[in-house]
Amino acid sequence: MSYIELKQVSYQYPLASEWALNDVTYSFEKGKLYGIIGANRGGKTTLCNLVRGFIPHFYQGELMGQVLIEGKDIREWENHQLSTEIGYIFQNPFSQISGVKETVFEEIALGLENLGVDKDEMIERTIQVVKWLKLEDLIKKNPNNLSGGQRQRVAFASIIVMNHDILVIDEPTSQLDPSSTAEVFEIIHMLKEQKKTILLVEHKVELIAEYADEVLVFEKGQIASYGSPADILSRKDLMERGISIPSVALLGHEMREKNMAMDSIPITKSQALEQILKGGKNDD
Amino acid sequence: MDYEFAYSFKKPQLTNNWILDMNPLSKLNLLIILFIIPITVQSWKWNVMIIIFYFLVALVAGCFKRFTRLYLRFGLMVGLLLFVLRALFIPGENLLYKLWFINITQEGVDSGLQFSTLVVAICGAIILYSIVTRAKDFMYMIEKLGASRVISYVILSSFQSIIDLGEMSKVILDSQRARGIETEGNIRQRIKAFIPILGPLFLGAISNAEEKAIAMDARAFSMPIKNTHLCHLRSLPVGEKAILIAANIAFIGFVVWRLMA
Repeated sequence: MSYIELKQVSYQYPLASEWALNDVTYSFEKGKLYGIIGANRGGKTTLCNLVRGFIPHFYQGELMGQVLIEGKDIREWENHQLSTEIGYIFQNPFSQISGVKETVFEEIALGLENLGVDKDEMIERTIQVVKWLKLEDLIKKNPNNLSGGQRQRVAFASIIVMNHDILVIDEPTSQLDPSSTAEVFEIIHMLKEQKKTILLVEHKVELIAEYADEVLVFEKGQIASYGSPADILSRKDLMERGISIPSVALLGHEMREKNMAMDSIPITKSQALEQILKGGKNDD
Repeated sequence: MDYEFAYSFKKPQLTNNWILDMNPLSKLNLLIILFIIPITVQSWKWNVMIIIFYFLVALVAGCFKRFTRLYLRFGLMVGLLLFVLRALFIPGENLLYKLWFINITQEGVDSGLQFSTLVVAICGAIILYSIVTRAKDFMYMIEKLGASRVISYVILSSFQSIIDLGEMSKVILDSQRARGIETEGNIRQRIKAFIPILGPLFLGAISNAEEKAIAMDARAFSMPIKNTHLCHLRSLPVGEKAILIAANIAFIGFVVWRLMA
């Protein structure tokens, strides 16, 4: 069932000379995690802004075609309705902290205050999210004094507590160190297990390979390719277009070039290990 | 999980210091009285008494160090400057000291003392209020009185923006320094290094403000419903009400007495 549908969508930012999205048609299904990759200025963030309704509600510009959320055109949705339907986690961990709350616990509950949730329920839901995301050590801290990784986890918690069915996550790890990246992806994995519909823009293709159900490659405002992670992320030609592929996939290609037996190009470490073990057994 | 902390939001968050725990509007009421007294009395002795009283209040509130540091930096510096200017340049008949073309007169010293202590006393009321009142408590009360949460958010986030701008300017200055640009030395050198960072600083602030506005929208800030609050304030205790009534009656009585006199 299509949950979010784009029909021949084109969009141009105000004063821009080029289209940021150009004739994009795609259907996103409920409960799947979509990995969105592509070189810079490919249209990934514009897609996120469009699905969340920041285009056309916040950014003006020229929008053509239809964006349907649960069958209703994005132009017909009120902005505040969208904020209860679709959660958005941004790239910059620093701009997501409200700056007006003294503790992380209060910061996480801010969205619930805005939704008019009563105090008892607000406390229970916040506790639940704090435990779920293992933020217990941070709850008394001032959110303005946290590190980038900690802020990004708090930003996730602040959106997750609002319990959206759709989550748009735009390069959440681009400013984080490897350990914070792993923590963020652990959260994304947990959200996937909860059957949330997730649109995830991410350059770290190893992580997309691990978690995505479908992968979309954006190039010059268009969907250049889409399909399963195994189909897309094993393609060496992506590299010529400025998109990296998982290092195990590169290794697989090199092994194949050296005439080593490979059933398929692996895209995750576990697949690579499986292939190597299989090869070893065949040699025996 | 610190459940005690999490569930502490069910009750008003009290510090067990009766000044800090007073309702922000009650404190405002009392400080307005202290603000008006020096203007009404026009006596430097009263002004000094009020200034001493501020220190006592800060001591009882447990904010003596913070208050003193801030008060000395802003209030007393301004007061000293005003006193010197008035004492040096207000003309009078009773000459105390003559230095080149400057005549220091008794009238100048009196006027300087009166005016500078008045300004310092008024500044003190504002500084003390900002020290003994949490901004979020004040904004909560303002919202309860009917102000929109947009206003309260703008005011509260403005305080944070000042801190953020300061931090961002440090980052830009550090990167300038890393490129070999001299950012330290005499005032002229510092100004020379600081002016070029104003552009990126304010453009960055504008860009951050846009990002923050969208991020707040993602957290349902534009919902057209009455928002709730995780933190709340206790209802006015009887003792606090009594203090307020007594203080206001005494103040009115005092003003009437001064007018009669």
